[in-house]
Amino acid sequence: MDKKIKKVVKQTEFYILCIIIVFAVIIQIRSGQFFTSNNLMDLVRSMIVPGIYALCALLSFVSTGADVSFPLIAALSAYIAVLAGNTWSLGVVPVFLIAVITGCLIGCINGFFIVRYRFNSLIVTLGTSSICSGILFGAFEAGRTELPEKLYALSKVNIATVKNESSGLGSALPGTFIIMIVLYAAAYFILNYTMVGRSVYALGGDEISAERAGINVKKVRFGVYVVNGGIAAIAGLCYAMMSYFYMPNEYAGAEMLVIAAVILGGTRMSGGIGTLKGCLLGTFLLTMVSNSLILFGISVYWEKVVVGAIIIIGTAISAMQAQRASNPFAVRRKKEA
Amino acid sequence: MDKTIGQKKKTLPFDENVRRLMIILVVLLIVTGVTKSASFVNLSNFQSIGKQLTEYGLMSLGMGICMISGGIDLSTVYVANLSGICAGLIFQMNLPGNVAVGCLAALCVGLLCGAFNGVLISYFHIPPMLATLGSYELFMGISVVLSGGSTVSTQGQIELLSSLTLLNIPLPFLIFIICTVALVCLMGKTKFGTRTYLAGTSEKAARFAGIHVNTTVIKCYMLSGLLAGIAGLISLSRLNSAKADFGTSYTMQTILVAVLGGINPNGGAGRLSGIAFAVVILQLLSSYLNQFPTISNYYRDLIWGAALLLVLVFNVKISQKSGKKKD
Repeated sequence: MDKKIKKVVKQTEFYILCIIIVFAVIIQIRSGQFFTSNNLMDLVRSMIVPGIYALCALLSFVSTGADVSFPLIAALSAYIAVLAGNTWSLGVVPVFLIAVITGCLIGCINGFFIVRYRFNSLIVTLGTSSICSGILFGAFEAGRTELPEKLYALSKVNIATVKNESSGLGSALPGTFIIMIVLYAAAYFILNYTMVGRSVYALGGDEISAERAGINVKKVRFGVYVVNGGIAAIAGLCYAMMSYFYMPNEYAGAEMLVIAAVILGGTRMSGGIGTLKGCLLGTFLLTMVSNSLILFGISVYWEKVVVGAIIIIGTAISAMQAQRASNPFAVRRKKEA
Repeated sequence: MDKTIGQKKKTLPFDENVRRLMIILVVLLIVTGVTKSASFVNLSNFQSIGKQLTEYGLMSLGMGICMISGGIDLSTVYVANLSGICAGLIFQMNLPGNVAVGCLAALCVGLLCGAFNGVLISYFHIPPMLATLGSYELFMGISVVLSGGSTVSTQGQIELLSSLTLLNIPLPFLIFIICTVALVCLMGKTKFGTRTYLAGTSEKAARFAGIHVNTTVIKCYMLSGLLAGIAGLISLSRLNSAKADFGTSYTMQTILVAVLGGINPNGGAGRLSGIAFAVVILQLLSSYLNQFPTISNYYRDLIWGAALLLVLVFNVKISQKSGKKKD
């Protein structure tokens, strides 16, 4: 039992949870609005899309390195799916299928360049996201688009609604929440209980060892980027469903915050380490900060300052932890030499 | 290290990549001249090209230095905006000598922001990409707070900086050339340059060679910040205004230019002179595309992205070929 507690205390997730609780309590004391049903519901609502994006970021960080293309993959594949859905008045499932297939195809481009030529994943994904934005705005001249009828009907369905008696504010949990839960459950199962999932971690931890252990490194890495494209596409459609319209300009720029959230959640940039729990907590923390600053009594103008400061402090702590963790090794190695 | 020594022995002035870029530039000039001679090849057009490329050209130089040291600087654009806003606010104050103070403040802000990045990366061991990611949020936030979220406008106190032309060459372009030459000398001829290359190639080796890697890295990011500060001033003088979220697409462009210019994103290799040519090529292409009104501006994104990937592949192929030759 004692060991278990020690192990929990050592994890980054534990610290994030502490910070979340401290923030929550302070906000509650200052405004009395935090632990209200509608505020919590709003928080969950606004972390759905970043939460799904966080899966992409986690997968790419654990296996290779940064991926910044997911918002634009999301935008492009969602647009193609919405367009196809509108022209052929498709149902919900075909629309999602088209989105996922498009996303996977764009993911293939990422995977091809990263695996075949071993380029820095950040640079490659920057390139593909630029290509996607060129196709989206240049070739398709995408603008605000209405969703296909059936998808629109589905997006109006809420799985739960709450109403705050004292303030009269209500908020609803959209059906996309279920999509997020399903994706996380699937990711949890695959990452922890299947050969493929374990090889993703192995590959990020030490590529040569993974190869020696019989893992097809290239295949796994390529697969990760293809899957990333698919997940991003789902997130793109979810985003469109939650705003009831497809708006192409709203997608770009989400990547930085998501990456920050994932890193805050304890994912190591150098690969091999990272959990879904941390992902969710990190996303929750950043969503909470940007959503609750007003409750905190801080002007909205300060949002970016606070978020930036949290990213810097959070990453500094985890970077220094990693440094300390690797230090004893260095000393030992020197002695052996 | 063998490779760099080999390159130095060559009698030709530039390395292979830069020469290739020069050929591309000449070909591009000929193509543009032949197809759109009347509207493209005239003085005012070249002057505007020279003006437009300065801002992101300077930032790309900074990005290049950071990449050579083994990092990346995603915050340059926001450093530029922050220093532009600071200068603009000081200009608004109507104090004696506030123009000089404002310009100085912009440069100092750039240096400080760079130093901040450098300290985060070297002493706190935050991966460069993350550190500059966080600091870009921070700098943008500070700009928003300082400017109140709106545009800071000036009455053209430093308009001369962007409008003056010497011998028909616009002053911003001259500044860009001066900065490029100075930095090429700095990186190629001084101890600092050699140290930066070594730190980028292998931090551990640099440490064992007795180099203060931390100081070197901080200096690199300070240089990048300073360049961003100059870019911010030029953009302030060109637009007579500064805004917290101005030029967000430049981040992508600066990385693209640095990679096109032959800088190795993993650090330790590349020449800054390549960046200068890459900037000119990009701006030429972009102005050339503007000549065709039917081509949407957004296609530029597509072309840049594709160019980035193609150049990367091309560089790999070339290096493979030369590797085989040596064997």
